[in-house]
Amino acid sequence: MSAAVTSLRNGWRGLAFIAIPVTAIAIFLFYPAALSIIGTLVRPKDGGGYTFSLQSYVFFFTDSYSLTNLGRTLWTTVVTLILLVAVNLPIALYMRFTKGPLATVIQALALFPMFVPGIIICYALIRYMGPNGWLQSLLALVGFHHYASPHLTPWGPVIGLIWDGMPLTLLILISGLSNISDASIEAARDVGAGRIRILVSIITPEITHSLLIVSALNFLGIFGQALMPFMLGPTNPEMMGPFMLRTFSSVRDPLQASTQATITFLICSLAGIAYVRSIARRPKEDRK
Amino acid sequence: MIFHSSRRFDFFGYGILLFLIFFIVLPVLTVFLWAFAEQWFYPAVLPTKWGFRFWSLVLARPDVWAALVTSIELSLTVTALSAVICLPAAYAFARMDFPGKSTFMLSFLMANAFPRFALIISIAVLFLSLDLVGTFTGVVIIQLLNTLLLMIWLPTAAFKAVSREMEEAARDVGASAWQVFRYVTLPQAFPTIAAALLMTFVWTFYETEGAWLVGAPRIRTMPLLMMQMINNQLVVQYGAVLSVMLWVPSLAAILMARRIIGGDTFAKGLGG
Repeated sequence: MSAAVTSLRNGWRGLAFIAIPVTAIAIFLFYPAALSIIGTLVRPKDGGGYTFSLQSYVFFFTDSYSLTNLGRTLWTTVVTLILLVAVNLPIALYMRFTKGPLATVIQALALFPMFVPGIIICYALIRYMGPNGWLQSLLALVGFHHYASPHLTPWGPVIGLIWDGMPLTLLILISGLSNISDASIEAARDVGAGRIRILVSIITPEITHSLLIVSALNFLGIFGQALMPFMLGPTNPEMMGPFMLRTFSSVRDPLQASTQATITFLICSLAGIAYVRSIARRPKEDRK
Repeated sequence: MIFHSSRRFDFFGYGILLFLIFFIVLPVLTVFLWAFAEQWFYPAVLPTKWGFRFWSLVLARPDVWAALVTSIELSLTVTALSAVICLPAAYAFARMDFPGKSTFMLSFLMANAFPRFALIISIAVLFLSLDLVGTFTGVVIIQLLNTLLLMIWLPTAAFKAVSREMEEAARDVGASAWQVFRYVTLPQAFPTIAAALLMTFVWTFYETEGAWLVGAPRIRTMPLLMMQMINNQLVVQYGAVLSVMLWVPSLAAILMARRIIGGDTFAKGLGG
């Protein structure tokens, strides 16, 4: 058997092995997404046949409730994203440049939310930070009596989503920081660079890629969340997740739910494209 | 040390520690306190009466057992299906050359590039026309999609890590392709694959959003029951007892799995 025939046969076998999961992704991810986008634009006509219509979008963009929900979702996403980076970058820097028992404890605690299922986080946060929760009791004990619970306010989902997004954000940032060699930092220090200078000139360029991935993934993760906003946030205005859920399940309007999903797809496609481009551009052996 | 000298007290580190205690440790601890509290009124700092009364109350509820059975059935079905369709694909990605390989790998990662709940909505709209809403099959499909990425990419890494020299040595002494796979490749890749199976099972067990939209109200899984108990029940302890009862075993399992897989794999797999 010639080498060419062997490799051709292997090629077909490889394709056969991946056929089912690829088909599953195509049928159950890309096809429904495409279908629901088309379904919002092409509507069946009364007398049969189909017609192109933007009516569901006109409704969404003239309905003040829908627009407020979209605005709330964007606000939550941006605020959560900024806070996630602001909280995790110092922790990641600390863990990269410090060794010892304290760093180990910090690492274990910061990655711990990875092992807590979403529904249990929700319960824990409600009992902890909710009205008359444990945090309020503890604060009252030390004489602080003006605690205003973030539960069921716009800050409720923000806190829950930071909890949820912390481990992944931290892992990606640490992975980016691990590319920086100690030698390059020591060299910079030898020529007299200060901490800020090292942060700006050596560390920042190395973690740009990680920051991009973190921002894109978290943007998608926060925008496409339903559980946290539903459990921890206010009902009016609400985030797109619970809004879509209610439109689909309670209002029973799949067309408007699809329209909301399509608008979510469009806004998130910016983050999605940034994410796919940045992982596609990485060197091949690096991508596992 | 770049950001602090070791001679000085590590304010920065202890600051982070304090933040993590208030932000992560105390909320989790709250669940445990409530699970063993028979009475706890504000502003008492600790439960006023401790005990196991609510454990027996939770265990006596038929809806808890029904949801537990549903969740275990679902998770077993999804994990088994996921393994059957993903493991050959993982082997192909690790060991075979075929046209479009990197594009296909990328298409799995692209599933990450969609807002999850919007995808679930569009799948649910499709399921509505296929009469799959409110069915076991519908929930299995939507949860299966969730597991594909993990189930392909962890075993791919496992198969890649198996030494080619050993496989070739086995071929040299006359082993068939199947024997090589069965006696050389599989045993070495097995720990990681087992860990992936375990994680898939636990993650499916706690998957909430897909089951909620596609399954409710007919298919009631454990997380959905917990959600209902958190939202509607006046008895605070039910949610806490269920959380502790189910989560502690799954935590032990996941920690075991994580030990095998290692932290960096996750960040790398997501493109970090």
